[in-house]
Amino acid sequence: MVAAVQRAVGWGRWVCTAAAPRPWRLFGAMCLLRLPRITQPLEKEEEEMAALMGQIELEKSQYSDHEMRKLEEEEQLRKRKESLYDDEITGKTVIMAQDLEDKWEQKLLRFKAAPRITDADKNNNRTSLNRRLDSNLMLLVKQKIGNQDLWLLPQAEWQPGETLRSTAERAMATFLGDHVQAKILGNAPSGIYKYKFPRAIRTEDNLGAKVFFFKAFLQSGDLSQTELKKDYLWVTKDELGDYLKPEYLKKVNGFLLDL
Amino acid sequence: MNAALPKALCLKKGALLKQVLVLSRAATPRENCLCAAGDVLVSCHRHYKSHPAHGIGRFKYLLPKEVPKRKKDKVQMKEINVGTEHEYGDLNIQMTSYDIYAMPTKTDEVLFLEERGSKMQLDAVLTTHQRVVQISGLSATFAPILLEIIQSNQPEGVHLSVAEHTEAHFKSRLKSRPELEELLAQMN
Repeated sequence: MVAAVQRAVGWGRWVCTAAAPRPWRLFGAMCLLRLPRITQPLEKEEEEMAALMGQIELEKSQYSDHEMRKLEEEEQLRKRKESLYDDEITGKTVIMAQDLEDKWEQKLLRFKAAPRITDADKNNNRTSLNRRLDSNLMLLVKQKIGNQDLWLLPQAEWQPGETLRSTAERAMATFLGDHVQAKILGNAPSGIYKYKFPRAIRTEDNLGAKVFFFKAFLQSGDLSQTELKKDYLWVTKDELGDYLKPEYLKKVNGFLLDL
Repeated sequence: MNAALPKALCLKKGALLKQVLVLSRAATPRENCLCAAGDVLVSCHRHYKSHPAHGIGRFKYLLPKEVPKRKKDKVQMKEINVGTEHEYGDLNIQMTSYDIYAMPTKTDEVLFLEERGSKMQLDAVLTTHQRVVQISGLSATFAPILLEIIQSNQPEGVHLSVAEHTEAHFKSRLKSRPELEELLAQMN
């Protein structure tokens, strides 16, 4: 008898929740990526292969116009030195190929490339965008969820009447300001994280939350006039584990490339 | 065939013997018609028109007739986005770069004039290469993954643009005909 009553109650509850609005709160989160600026260093095999291909190309190649000209002029100079009469008193000054090469050499010496490793200068400053130029950097902000501060991808709650993508854009704008130029990759989310609230807060209408992740690429390099919130970080994929909770991290890692 | 003969001799006797021999003699030239030309053995399988197996391999007459295609076909595809399964229609992925090894689509000549000393002209030839790939039916969930992978693996100096296929794209591939346009203007 008791069992029958319990079963009937369960059935009733299922019918009730099917008709009521969904108990999940929806959030849209933005995974803002700064693309790598320089290429990653080559592996050992890749370097050997590149050297081998370079060697093959060099052996198969032929002289270019500049090199032919240089060889001819060297030939002429040698002939002129050997023959003891100097013919063709040329009034015009001709720029020789060797002079051109010297000039180019000078120009090369004046050029100084930017350093590849800037994080060594920055002492592992995780709030700057100039760190780890060869990998993707992601934005993490500290947000208050319930009663605890957590490091998360910036998220905002969905309001009825707007699309989830605009929710994510709004989340980005609240944390970085309106002038951030980011290119969102598509209208569909890349990942989803679903969690239930702890039993203390859980009610019939408020079962838990679903967070939808959108991916975007950062277009502009400098964010000097933005930064409203003070606690933000730009981290790479392998450093995410230091900040995110394990379940959240697992879902986020599912849609990130290994860069 | 030769192995069958002794059997025929054992089993059948007398008058049947001659008939068997005649049949076997007549069968050989048609079936074993081999022409040896050098090393190659060519066997002729074609039968004459009165043979029951004449035309045994023909099938082209069974296929449906193909209408010869007109030169210009205006194909405009627009996919309908149905419910949650959104799909893009035709997308054009266009990549432009300056490279030395591929077939160029546009060649620019740039002249540098060096003023110091004697006037020397250094010509530089820039080749622009453009390739367009058209895909259709890209699902909205896969699109961000594809875009990210393409962008991450792009070599340096390549300009990438992904756009939906429009009539303008289609028209840009056709040459303009000024005489035809003049005549049309005269007619109207």
